[in-house]
Amino acid sequence: MIDRFHYRQDREAYSAARVKALEALLIKKGVITDRTVDTVLDFFETRMGPFNGAKIVARAWVDPAFKDRLVADTPKAIAELQLPEGMAGAEGEHMRAVANAPDVHNLIICTLCSCYPWPVLGLPPYWYKDPTFRSRAAREPRAVLTEFGLAVPDAVEIKVWDSSAQIRWFVVPERPAGTDGLSEAELEALVTPEAMMGVAVARAA
Amino acid sequence: MKLQHYLGGLEGLGPVSTETRVFVDVWETRIFGIHTAMMALSPQLPLPETPSTFNTIWTWADLRKGAESLNPFDYFRFRYYEKWLGGISGYFIDNGYITAEELDALTEEYYSEPSKPLPGAGDEAIDQRVVQYLVEGDSPKRDVTVTFEFKVGDTVAIRNVPTVEHTRLPGFLRNKFGTIETVYDGAYTYLCDTGPDGVGAAMPVYCVRFEPSDLWPDNAEKNFSLYADLYAHYVEAPEAAEASKAA
Repeated sequence: MIDRFHYRQDREAYSAARVKALEALLIKKGVITDRTVDTVLDFFETRMGPFNGAKIVARAWVDPAFKDRLVADTPKAIAELQLPEGMAGAEGEHMRAVANAPDVHNLIICTLCSCYPWPVLGLPPYWYKDPTFRSRAAREPRAVLTEFGLAVPDAVEIKVWDSSAQIRWFVVPERPAGTDGLSEAELEALVTPEAMMGVAVARAA
Repeated sequence: MKLQHYLGGLEGLGPVSTETRVFVDVWETRIFGIHTAMMALSPQLPLPETPSTFNTIWTWADLRKGAESLNPFDYFRFRYYEKWLGGISGYFIDNGYITAEELDALTEEYYSEPSKPLPGAGDEAIDQRVVQYLVEGDSPKRDVTVTFEFKVGDTVAIRNVPTVEHTRLPGFLRNKFGTIETVYDGAYTYLCDTGPDGVGAAMPVYCVRFEPSDLWPDNAEKNFSLYADLYAHYVEAPEAAEASKAA
C-alpha cells in the first residue's frame, strides 16, 4: 500500500486499542453483545461470500440457458440455486449480472463509495475501495486493467458500470479454455472475486 | 463542491492498489462488525424489538456523510476502515452513548494491555436481529405508482443539482448527456432525504450510457463505454436543460 502522508509510528496498535475500547463500551452500555461482532464476521465466513458467486458462475458456464436467465433477471435466477438463505439480503436486495463475451469485457466500479454485492461476493477488497482505482477506472480502464495484469485487446469493448444507485453489480466471466472435462465443483475453484468484478478473468488452473 | 464526489477521471494519481485483501489489519474486522450491527439495530427497520439501547438511525448514508464531510486531504490520508473508526466513534460520542473522555481512557488501557479481554454481556436477541437483517436486507424498492419520463434509447441531460452534505450523483457526469440503457422496474428510495440534491423519496432509477469522448474530450481511452445507475431526479430532457440554461 502506498502511504503519501506521515502517520504515527504506532498507527495500527493505536487503532486496535481504540476499536477495542469502542467495542467494550458498546457492550457495557448495552448497544451490542460480547458476541455481536463475531456473529457478523462468522456470517461472512460461512454464508455471504465469494463462494456463492463462484457457484453461480460455474452454473452459468455449464448451463447457457441459466446464464441467459441470470443476465435477464439476476435475483430470480440466483433463487433457483441451492445457496444459503439471504441471497437477496443486505447489499444484495437488487443485483444485476453482466456477462463477458469474446467482444465485451465488463468492469464494475463505484466512484462515490464502495457498493458491492455482499451475498454473492462478500466484502469489497482494498483495490475496489482505492480512490486511485475509483478515479482512473472511469477514464482509462484499459490502463488500470494492465496494472492488474490483464491486457484487454483494443478490439474488445470495455463496459464500465458505476454503481451509483441501489443496484449491486457483478460480472460473469467467460469460461476458460481447456476446462471441458471439469466438474461444476472444479470450475468453482477457478472463479475469483477479481474475475467477478472484472479486474481479472477466470483462468484454467 | 466536495472533491469526494468528483473522483471519477482525476489525473496524475499514479498506479492503482492491487491489494486483494478485504482487511489489511485484524482490528479492521471489529469496526466492520460494529457498523453492520448498527445498521441492523437501527430503529427504522421493521425487525423485532431487542433490549439493545441503540435508538438512533444509522444507515450507509450516515457513514457516507461522515466520509464526505472530511477535509478531502484527510479523506485521502486515512485508510478505508480508519475513516469508519473515526466516523463511528464520533457518532457514538455525538449521540451521547459514550463520552470522548471514557473512550480515550479505555483506549489507553487497551493500548498498554492489548490482551485485556472485552467485557462479557448482552442479550441473544440482539445478535438474532443482526443475523435477520443480513438475511432479509433492507430493500429500497417501493410499490408506488411513479411516472417513467424516459424510455430505452432516449437522450437525457444530467442535472447539476446543488451539492450539500451528500449526493448519489457522481461529479464527472454533471451537465453531460447520456442515453437510457435500462429503465428499472418500480421505484427506489434512498436511505435519507438529501435535501436540495433531491433523492430520498421513491422514484424511478435509470441506467444511463455515456460516451467517454464526451466525458473527457480528446482524453479518454478508445472502445469503452461508461454506464451509471441514476435516480430520476438527476436526469432531465435535453430541452429542459437548454431552457434552464437560457433562463
